[in-house]
Amino acid sequence: MSGIAPDQESGSSPAFLAELQEILGVRGFHADEAIRLVYSRDASHLTGGRPLAVALPADEAQLRRVIRLCRKAEVPVVCRGTGTGLSGGAVPGPDAVVVGTSRLTDLDPVDSYGGRVRVQPGVLNDGVTRHAAGHGLHFAPDPSSQAASSIGGNIAENAGGPHCLRHGVTLQHLLHLEWLDADGRLHRTGRGLAVERGLDLLSLLCGSEGTLGLVTAADLRLVADPADVSTLLAFFPDLEDAARAVVGLLGEGLAPVAVEMVDQAVLAAVEEAFGFGFPTDVEAAMIVEFVGRPQETVEDGDRAAALLAGHGASDVRRAADEAERLELWKCRKKAFGAVGRLTPSYVTMDVVVPLGELPGLVREIQVIKAGHGVDVITAFHAGDGNLHPGVCYDDRDPDQTRRAHAAADDIIRATLARGGSITGEHGVGIEKLHALPWQIDGETARLQRGIKDIFDPREILNPGKLHPGAEATFRPVEPLPAETVFQWANLTVTAPADTPLAGIQEAALAKGFWIPVGAVFHSSGCGLGSAGTVGDLVAHLVAGPSFCGTGTARQFLLELWAETGAGRLFHAGAPVFKNVAGYDLVHMLCGSGRVWAQPLAATFQLRPVPESVGCWRFPLADRKRREPDLDRLARYLATRDDGLGGPVMIVDASTENPEPEVVVLLPGRSRPWDLDQAGKDMEAILGGSPPASHLELDFGRAGEFLDSGLIPDWALSSPDWTFLARLPGEDGDRKMWPANIDRWIWQSAPRLVWSPDPAGSSAGWHADRFCKDGHILPACAPAPGVPLDFLRDMKALFDPSGALETPPWLEDENA
Amino acid sequence: MPDAQVTATVSAERQLDNLLRQCVQCGLCLPHCATWLATGNEVQSPRGRLLLLGEMLPSTEAVSVPGVFLQAFDQCIGCRACETACPSGVPFSLLEYGQQRAVGLLTDRADGLPRPAVPGSVLRRLDRTGFLGFMSGVAGLARGLLAALAGRTWRHRLAGSPAGAGQLVRLLGSMPTSPRTDGELLRMLDGLSGGKSGGKSGGELQGEGRSLQPGPGPRIAFFRGCANAALLPGTSRRLHDLLVEAGCRIEEPVTQDCCGALAAHTGRPGRAADLRGRNREAFSGALAAGAVIVAEAAGCSHELGQYGEDFQEKVIDATVLLAGLDLPPAGRVPLRVVYHDPCHARHGQGIVTEPRQLLQAIPGLELVEPVEAEVCCGSGGAWGLRYPEISADLGRRKAANLIAAGADLVVTSNPGCLGQIADALLLDAPDLPILPLTDLIWYAVQKGM
Repeated sequence: MSGIAPDQESGSSPAFLAELQEILGVRGFHADEAIRLVYSRDASHLTGGRPLAVALPADEAQLRRVIRLCRKAEVPVVCRGTGTGLSGGAVPGPDAVVVGTSRLTDLDPVDSYGGRVRVQPGVLNDGVTRHAAGHGLHFAPDPSSQAASSIGGNIAENAGGPHCLRHGVTLQHLLHLEWLDADGRLHRTGRGLAVERGLDLLSLLCGSEGTLGLVTAADLRLVADPADVSTLLAFFPDLEDAARAVVGLLGEGLAPVAVEMVDQAVLAAVEEAFGFGFPTDVEAAMIVEFVGRPQETVEDGDRAAALLAGHGASDVRRAADEAERLELWKCRKKAFGAVGRLTPSYVTMDVVVPLGELPGLVREIQVIKAGHGVDVITAFHAGDGNLHPGVCYDDRDPDQTRRAHAAADDIIRATLARGGSITGEHGVGIEKLHALPWQIDGETARLQRGIKDIFDPREILNPGKLHPGAEATFRPVEPLPAETVFQWANLTVTAPADTPLAGIQEAALAKGFWIPVGAVFHSSGCGLGSAGTVGDLVAHLVAGPSFCGTGTARQFLLELWAETGAGRLFHAGAPVFKNVAGYDLVHMLCGSGRVWAQPLAATFQLRPVPESVGCWRFPLADRKRREPDLDRLARYLATRDDGLGGPVMIVDASTENPEPEVVVLLPGRSRPWDLDQAGKDMEAILGGSPPASHLELDFGRAGEFLDSGLIPDWALSSPDWTFLARLPGEDGDRKMWPANIDRWIWQSAPRLVWSPDPAGSSAGWHADRFCKDGHILPACAPAPGVPLDFLRDMKALFDPSGALETPPWLEDENA
Repeated sequence: MPDAQVTATVSAERQLDNLLRQCVQCGLCLPHCATWLATGNEVQSPRGRLLLLGEMLPSTEAVSVPGVFLQAFDQCIGCRACETACPSGVPFSLLEYGQQRAVGLLTDRADGLPRPAVPGSVLRRLDRTGFLGFMSGVAGLARGLLAALAGRTWRHRLAGSPAGAGQLVRLLGSMPTSPRTDGELLRMLDGLSGGKSGGKSGGELQGEGRSLQPGPGPRIAFFRGCANAALLPGTSRRLHDLLVEAGCRIEEPVTQDCCGALAAHTGRPGRAADLRGRNREAFSGALAAGAVIVAEAAGCSHELGQYGEDFQEKVIDATVLLAGLDLPPAGRVPLRVVYHDPCHARHGQGIVTEPRQLLQAIPGLELVEPVEAEVCCGSGGAWGLRYPEISADLGRRKAANLIAAGADLVVTSNPGCLGQIADALLLDAPDLPILPLTDLIWYAVQKGM
């Protein structure tokens, strides 16, 4: 920086600026030197140019008019939340208009029943949680910037944070988006359901770094506040031991909600800033957090403490109360800023490796550090295998600067050699453009570029970000795996598409893990049944009524090999738990059938299985009158979801059944005291009638229980299944299921009702016919508001000759 | 420029540069900055201002520092909330003051700085007790007149009035008041808590006479504060009474004057320095005798603390002092109360727990927390008169948060905040009263007798 830069000559006409000003008014239009300087930067320390002007629209209408004007004048638009991004995503070029969302801050009332809220993009991450506080709910993604970062920015970057280990990244908490494309057309994406089959534009837009569209409103999923939290703080004299402890902890089947770590340098900086009284002579400090019912968190905490000590922790402390817990977290959350005390400048990295590679990478970073003679300080989202090495340098010293960047590139290469990704949550932006070609293959890059050209042919939206230039050389495609490989240290399984799912689940189960989509029990042909393959799961998202699952394939699919209609192999994603390197083709394609691409192989995340399943059968006479009780029961069960397996409720009140009943399955750890309590709670909810039977089954044997005729055959053997989900915003319909269906299965995660009778769906409900006569049906047409022209263009991109199946609704109107 | 002076400037610049580099641009300050919240414009955020400062730094002698740069600094309320929030420990106020010194010469050349909504002749006199008392009288009369003419909703009806009249209304509305007589206070709080005063109305606490009998407690030099003395005389007296009750030995140096905060706020460093000197002298005797200086207004205690290290350790905010004293046991006050932290206390002096301790010690009282407790109310002393629009927006925002906390009563401990919030509450919740914290403590002690 040298003095005040002279006002740059702008290429745009004064008429353009005048029109912009007319749209935005005094508070929304700014083009003075001060604002152009301030909005030329974000938290990344990267510089682009001074923008032409800054637009701070007051509402969606203004935003739309701004986009249309820029489109007409072919002026680039760079969308900005609060400028907390670390990859330069909001750094504009000299000829751009920066559109800030800071005045788009409306929040709708919380729908506490549906666990959702609708917000404008300028609402802060923390603001959502504060807004939901009175409802016992919160917004789970919690990046360190959460106090300042906006929801729009979180969506653009697919932000993560410590608690994403349990709850998943921002994408998992998006139900519905309204967004403007490069022409200023308003689109809606998704019905706002927990499960929606079809090409998933939510997955595509989330993490697209403002290059495909601008979000104007989002429906967010909220997560129930835990009953109790137990937080451990462990100190390790040896950093590599600490990394190994993380692998050991998760490999033992413990399911903490967060495992965070900082190295000695960060610990020292935080200690200097806040004076918590932590030891500074250790190499690592680790935070491990469990949630659940009080006794449960204590038991988990004790087990974890013993494990950590066994792995070399010198001191393990437990937060005594909430205040102490928040103090511990402050230590982690403020780490980034506190580093400002240590070094004038640093390269903030965001690499992520398969979990089992964490200790190896930690070791390698020490070698790289010594080799280049630079300091590297690191904060870890350790449970995710995501780490933020900060390579320190003084930007006034050119040699130091060069060495620091060389070291950073070596760390990236080491990460990629271990099967990792260059970015887990910060995004590519400008900062990692040079490294993206080291990670993705040419065909994947071609598809990504093709998508950009479809959504934004004139390159108006955030140009120069995320897509490497034409001169880039991409890596060759990752070889297609030939057989099933379990990587137990990584908690992943990779398998060719034709591998039977049941075989994988059985093998995983034997080690205490599974892909928690609930497919293990289905030997009798409902949904995918035992004939379902890995490819089917990728293509169809769910396997059928999912007993005790905790989500859909979209949640646990990490990596995908697939073939386009033109027979070209591409590889998307990586065997890591978080990845935002380029558009998210993996999750966009998951559940889209075999319409755009043919899945060839996939890697899934493995999660610990529940130890047991509590099973209850309650008589259910006079079902109509009991409807409110069932409603309350479902709500109660939703609060009992411990992340290992989701509770399930099976209701049969049909006239064919002589003894109408409700069956409850409650997976979890084997804890007699807890199951006793659950039984009593449910008895009270159902009006005091005791269960007809109750037993606790080993999880692996629960399938036998379900198949053995203990519950009516229809529940598992009907060849026709439909899933039903309550649409948002229908305040009149507060019930969880259509009243006129008398046979159904309700599952807590994903929140769905399965029924063999699609005719039962009523207003406020969405029905997707999943299978008929034992065959999986393709997804129905997307919800109104989804741009069909984009979908058709993408079909042409992926399948130019129509070699793959084409549902009728996708056929070209003009053909 | 003499050599020594050049060296001094260069080293000051280097110092500023090093401080600036402490900012990692993370943006965590943004949601704590009142002016950013009100405008959504990052120029009016701490990070934005630091970026501008970095740009200006090498050009202290350049001819053109754009007016908009200086305005960005002028628009800073100085609440120091960003300093509390900053994980890198950037001493924002230090940077800003440094910068003001550096570019002070250029201020004349800067165009676009707003003219104060209130004439300079008025602004300059706001730190004079007599004038304030006069203004308060005018404000009281005007409020009464308006209420008579326009009914209970007069403030509402004038909120959207044209600029000139609107500013006048703001000035009138934001003059802080508190019950002058103890009877008035007792009646108000009795009514609010639905009970009758259990204590002897006009009992021991209501000592009009200034007890100078030495008690066993600490030796206290009482700092009056111009706004408190002129506008909240009842409250000042009640603080005095509480201290006497707790056994303090009180003296009140007669030659004391305004702390100088308002002069500093209104760009009159000369007068501020003059006032400092006067107060240093006025309190020198008491300090030598081992007294500590107590100020009821957080703004005063903060400013006195800036006099220098020797002074800083001898100044104590009234809330901190009261929290540490053996007050007589408080009676039951069954009210839900929300406390507003003055920035001068919370950010300027790190006072967060003491006022809450005081409130929580009152039986039956339920303390509730508002959202954005750390955000400025938009008063900022004279700042609000220069930026009336942003100030009014912030007042409404603060009022909305306090209202949402669901309390029966708002309390605070700085006259500027008291007036600003009272004015905003008049618009959005005319039935929600606001009082100085001291008054509520006095009442609780009274109820215990």
